[in-house]
Amino acid sequence: MEPPDGVRIKKSTGKMQIATPGDVSYLGYIRTIVADLARQMGFSESEVAKIEMAVDEACSNVLEHAYAHDKQWLWQHREPEMRLEIRTEDGRLVVEINDHGERFDLDRYQPPPLEDRLEKMASGGYGLHIMRRFMDEVHYSSDPQTGNTLRLVKYLKKS
Amino acid sequence: MRDFHIEREQRGAIYLLRLAGAVDMYSYARLDEQVRQLFSQNHHRIILDCQNLDYIGSAGLGSLVGLAKEARVHGGDVRLLRVPERIYKIIELLGFTKVLQVFHDETEALNSFAS
Repeated sequence: MEPPDGVRIKKSTGKMQIATPGDVSYLGYIRTIVADLARQMGFSESEVAKIEMAVDEACSNVLEHAYAHDKQWLWQHREPEMRLEIRTEDGRLVVEINDHGERFDLDRYQPPPLEDRLEKMASGGYGLHIMRRFMDEVHYSSDPQTGNTLRLVKYLKKS
Repeated sequence: MRDFHIEREQRGAIYLLRLAGAVDMYSYARLDEQVRQLFSQNHHRIILDCQNLDYIGSAGLGSLVGLAKEARVHGGDVRLLRVPERIYKIIELLGFTKVLQVFHDETEALNSFAS
């Protein structure tokens, strides 16, 4: 699949790096790439669907919150950008999503339970639950030099 | 990866929206707007045919739940039809099928509003 305009890709053995402008129109491309890599690694289609959704939620969060127009980004002089590094290592898929927007410590944030959101038929607040439910590890870090990084890990379980 | 689009059909007092492509952060507002436009014309019985839906993310799911809640206040509902298995498994795992009605057959979905 040809990358859309504005996308930079770097590939090496077991690793792929993608940089896209910080715009929601690139989400579909990111999902396709991540799903293809997960499939190649041997994940079942139902696990691929979970990984695809978790990464989509993570990237959507970056665009909606980290790069929100009313927020103070780490580097306001830079255009919004999403940088993904997808690695296959030791039977696991690692997806790191890096941005230079507003810091938001997902590790410390405990949203109301998913079941409560659904019972109230809330129109939002599901994204973080989806990431935590569908991935084996979700870890957030922030660094003034390198920006914010959300690390999602999924283990390839042998059955 | 198909572009998202919606085809609209009227069946008596019910509107059937046939969805194709992906409902994500990029496209969900178009679906939300179409349904809200029907609400503003006092049409609150909506069926979303998902047969050609490739993907739905939390922005889309949240929107559907919010729309269904609003439609129910007015005696209607937003119901799903022919959700592809890959998507159904995901929304079932998350619990969305407990709050959104899902049908496999179009006639069954249309008749569900009669009861």
